[in-house]
Amino acid sequence: MTLLKKSKIRRASAVYSEDRAAAFDPSRVQEAMAIWAAGRSRSVFAPLIETFGLLVKDRMAVVGMAIIATLAVVGILGPLIVPLPPFQALKAPDGTMLRLAEPSAAHPFGTDYFAHSVLSQFILGIRIAFLVGLSAAVAVGLISTVLGLVSGYFGGYLDDAIMRIVDIALSIPTLPFAIIMVAVLGPSLENVLFVIVLLYWRNGARIVRSAVLTQKERPFIAAARALGASHWRIMTYHILPNVLPVAFLWMTMSIAFAVLTEASLSFIGLGDPSMASWGQMLNLAFQTASIRSAWWWVLPPSLGLILLISSIYFIGRAFEEKTNPRLRQRAA
Amino acid sequence: MRVYLARRIIQSIIVVFVMVTLMFVIFRIIPSDPTAMLVERGMPEETRQRLLEQWGLTGPLYVQYVRYLTNLFQGDFGLSFFYSKPVWEILAPKVLNTLWIAIPGLLLGATFGSVLGMFVGWSRRGGAIDGLGILLAPPFVTGILALMVFSGFFDLLPGFGMRTPGANPSGFAATYLNGDFLQHLILPVAVVALTFIPENLLLMRTGVLEARGEDYLEMVRAKGVSEFRVMWHAGRNSLLPVITWLFPSLAETVAGIVLVEVVFSWPGVGRELVFSVTRQDMPIAQAGFFLLAVMIVASNLLADLVYSYLDPRVVYK
Repeated sequence: MTLLKKSKIRRASAVYSEDRAAAFDPSRVQEAMAIWAAGRSRSVFAPLIETFGLLVKDRMAVVGMAIIATLAVVGILGPLIVPLPPFQALKAPDGTMLRLAEPSAAHPFGTDYFAHSVLSQFILGIRIAFLVGLSAAVAVGLISTVLGLVSGYFGGYLDDAIMRIVDIALSIPTLPFAIIMVAVLGPSLENVLFVIVLLYWRNGARIVRSAVLTQKERPFIAAARALGASHWRIMTYHILPNVLPVAFLWMTMSIAFAVLTEASLSFIGLGDPSMASWGQMLNLAFQTASIRSAWWWVLPPSLGLILLISSIYFIGRAFEEKTNPRLRQRAA
Repeated sequence: MRVYLARRIIQSIIVVFVMVTLMFVIFRIIPSDPTAMLVERGMPEETRQRLLEQWGLTGPLYVQYVRYLTNLFQGDFGLSFFYSKPVWEILAPKVLNTLWIAIPGLLLGATFGSVLGMFVGWSRRGGAIDGLGILLAPPFVTGILALMVFSGFFDLLPGFGMRTPGANPSGFAATYLNGDFLQHLILPVAVVALTFIPENLLLMRTGVLEARGEDYLEMVRAKGVSEFRVMWHAGRNSLLPVITWLFPSLAETVAGIVLVEVVFSWPGVGRELVFSVTRQDMPIAQAGFFLLAVMIVASNLLADLVYSYLDPRVVYK
């Protein structure tokens, strides 16, 4: 696209600005259409697919995706393989409660203080982490894409207003805000999700906006405008596909933030009491002073959190490297 | 420069003002019965009314808002329900305790992170990091694991509070400059430092990676100095983002340290905030949040000023 000369763009826009009835020239319309077609003759999702193709070339990103896929499979199939309910108190053969039992053949991850199977709880934890992460990410992605698109495309006062709000939102201390909000609203899954979305739309909106700003200046946008495309069409059909990779990256990152925030809140006892997330497992282990002894209770949720968050981070970092040509050249 | 300074200061004041208003909204408007949040339940009606008046919870909302602002500007956050003492008397010593783990942790993390990042970025492929594969652990998970290993399995280090129970020293030197306190300090500081190594490492690595192809490095190499010196040239030029990143991350550390304090039962602001929330002691929660918000705004301001001093180009944008 950069090969197109500026004079050509100017000519393309001129078709639009001139009085159409007076100076209708079919050859000039054709010229504008050629420029426009050069800009987008591909699928709407092409940029997203291309980005994915780049990610697959990064070793750590592949490792990250493999870990996430494995966790997802275990989360989905887990309850079929390990049919023990997570909250059933287990009993030893002699009838006593199986409290804090070390891992054994019958219970590979051992049992916790309340004689529940740690493995079943861990699998439930995967499901909750994905539930929290994905639903928060979808909401965050949607809000930040819409705001970033509108703010970057229209500019002016609207842009100023949205960006000032983002600036202020960015100076909110994340975790203290989450703690206080959940405490005031009451600890439930919806409230935890609400607070997460409230916290992470701000960075996303800013990132999408800057991507929109660079897209806006590209020649095919001018050409589309010259052909009389509406704002709505330019935004959704010409700009959105090109900023989707960035929006998608932020969505991926917000899965990690959401899981982390939920785990943090649960760890200090502000999670949904009916949801046994990894954070809550750690909270119980901490509250019952089992951290120093019951490693089989502490390790699964800890490693689960570390692996999930790191995997997402690997993907995000690979994305950043592949899309920043300066880094790509030097590192090659 | 002066215009830039004035603009940034005014911006910061606006942000603090918005934060204060946000707090008002959170504590007085969102709860269906704000008095339930601020006054203990199960009191006789008469006492309740008197308390409500004392906390300034009577009258129309805008009157409450004005009264709330006036109190804030006079530095009056009210009395803690739990301790029955002025809020500042409770929080002031906790601030110092928090800084005791925040600042050394951050500095250690930045130093180790940037030195590691320099070597990683300089290494042959610059992508040796692929093999290194830093894992990102949330601070409280690192804390729990550290507690499990060093305090549980090996029983090497204490992981509870600031000093051995029973020890009740007085005076600054006796309180902070003794082996017992330092031993208690090791684990929390290490955990804070560990959480900051990855970010600093990546910042420095990116910088060194980008600097690697620059002409001035060829120049330095042509002078015949050792490869280590050449690396140091590239590293020093990449320090700017690390340094400017330090200030906002001090604020983030103080905010994120909440969980580290909980894990190690360290009596800091964050742990007090968590306690106050579970105790429904809203004056403390409010003051703690305000304190952290002001810290973040102030460090962002400071970061911008340092940056504009180190790289004057930003002022003229």
